[in-house]
Amino acid sequence: MDGPIIRMQGISKLYKPDTWALRGVDLELEKGSWVTIMGPSGSGKTTLLNMIGCLDSPTSGSLLIDGTDVTKLGQKALASFRRENLGLVFQQYHMVPYLTALENVMLAQYYHSVVDEAGAVEALERVGLGHRLTHTPSQLSGGEQQRVCIARALVNDQEILLADEPTGNLDKKNGEIVLDLIKDLHDDDHTIVLITHNPEIATMGEVLVEFLDGQAVSFKQTSNRVGGG
Amino acid sequence: MFLRILAKSISKRKGKIAIAVVAVIMGASVTTALLTVSLDVNEKMNYEFRKFGANLLVIPDSDTINIGIGQFGFGAVTEQKYINQSDLYKIKTIYWAKNVLGYAPFLYQAVTVETGNESNVAILTGTWFEKDTVLEDGTVFKTGVKTINSWWDVEGTWVDDNGTSQDAMIGANAAEKLGVGLGDVVTVSYSERPDDLENATYLELNIVGIISAGGPEDDQIFAKLDTAQELTNRPNMVHTVQVSALCTKCDVDEFAREIEEKINYVDARTVKQLANAEMSLLSKIEDMMLLVSTVALSASALGVGTTMTASVVERRKEIGLMKGMGAENGRIASLFLAEAGIMGVLGGILGYAVGLVLAYLIGLSVFASQVMPNLFVFPIAVGIGVGVALLSSLLPVRRATRVEPAVVLRGD
Repeated sequence: MDGPIIRMQGISKLYKPDTWALRGVDLELEKGSWVTIMGPSGSGKTTLLNMIGCLDSPTSGSLLIDGTDVTKLGQKALASFRRENLGLVFQQYHMVPYLTALENVMLAQYYHSVVDEAGAVEALERVGLGHRLTHTPSQLSGGEQQRVCIARALVNDQEILLADEPTGNLDKKNGEIVLDLIKDLHDDDHTIVLITHNPEIATMGEVLVEFLDGQAVSFKQTSNRVGGG
Repeated sequence: MFLRILAKSISKRKGKIAIAVVAVIMGASVTTALLTVSLDVNEKMNYEFRKFGANLLVIPDSDTINIGIGQFGFGAVTEQKYINQSDLYKIKTIYWAKNVLGYAPFLYQAVTVETGNESNVAILTGTWFEKDTVLEDGTVFKTGVKTINSWWDVEGTWVDDNGTSQDAMIGANAAEKLGVGLGDVVTVSYSERPDDLENATYLELNIVGIISAGGPEDDQIFAKLDTAQELTNRPNMVHTVQVSALCTKCDVDEFAREIEEKINYVDARTVKQLANAEMSLLSKIEDMMLLVSTVALSASALGVGTTMTASVVERRKEIGLMKGMGAENGRIASLFLAEAGIMGVLGGILGYAVGLVLAYLIGLSVFASQVMPNLFVFPIAVGIGVGVALLSSLLPVRRATRVEPAVVLRGD
């Protein structure tokens, strides 16, 4: 255990005019842990992930990631923080449609620092797509596209991987491939925050946080690592 | 990587980009056509208008006495006055001096012309043909009837102002009437009183050119001003000066007023209808061109702006994804502005080419002349293309930078 890498205190989010997506959430996530978040639609899971991913800002409360209070950062600093620390994987496999699998991964390198084609090829080989480098998204299956997204999220070796229902649109087989990849990343000491509706997947992490009406209503330890607040 | 993204993004959306490029071509081509026509026609009109000759006539002030009996006027008698030849340079010292294309002095005298055994009366006109005159600042200004009436049809040659004093030209009607041809020598004589043959002065003139001007000039004999002054004993004197002036942004009356101020004993009269018409036509053509260009460029801006807005809306997820990967607004903006810039350059180049064809067609159909391409317009066309494309992309680009990744990437 390396201590908390994400520390949330009293995080609330109001969507005008009067919808509270989060209501005073306190949460601490240990470095290198795998935290799974469950809850019904509209319970605030995705809003929480957007907060941690620095894609959205809270209405009140503080959020420290790796010691930085990201609620105090401006747009430019947030973009920089995001590319240095966070890898994002979404339920819909968002890729730039006119770029190949390899170029989509290189794009992440380009926005991060410098383009390293060999590194991008290696990342794609790691997700089992070494033979699909020059294919565009329309030539890839859903599972393959999601694996490109994971390769893209890990190519810059960011500390934290945020995954919003990464297997939601995949069949069982492809879902398992993607989860195996996430497990590999976890074994490499990456911190994983994963949203799912699937109870089976929910038990794969170390901590399961359940959300209801914008609040974290339960924390369950599913293995030996602990998160809570 | 930036160029790779740019190239692939453009090649993927060729159709839409082509529409935007066509919009730029439209604006750039109309501007090119109108600029090319304007520059070319201005030059041509300048030349054409000069063919009409002078548009200002300078004469000495005269004391005119009206004569008549009771209510019946019989006209006026005028005391003959002259303009000093040495004052002529002042015409080139007015504020609009640069627009004075040329001027020529005239000294007229009825003389007796002897050819063979016949003698006839004709008008001898002393003038400058193409004389090197020295202006106030010491520069040499070439001017004379050849400058302001270069369209005169001349058989033979013009008189050389630096050549022999006997060289002369004759109007076509006078030549026919007097039976004089090129290379002939005619003798002219002048005396203050027509019958005073004893005190008459004689001069032999070599005819080097025959003039067909379609006006009173065709009945006159033209000699060098010095020669005519000497023959008639009127040193430094001229009767009138014809001035050819042209500009689009100034008033011919202003020229006249200024000349009257500079040479305070003369009366400058504008050949008003002609001069004002020349200038207002040029000015109207330019105004119309400006209007049409403005409309065409507005349409271009609208076309590019619409295409770019559609592109931003269509690529919201892509923009959100790039931002999610840490792309700053500047990088997003530069991608879209680079696309717009390429549309502008392409549209500008093609617009220039299309504009030249348009200019050629306008030249043929409206002005009945071949309009020549002007390379000076090329950078202007490309500059306008790029400028319009970039300016009209500013709002769509602003919209792109405001895309919120959390909103567009949300999984439903």
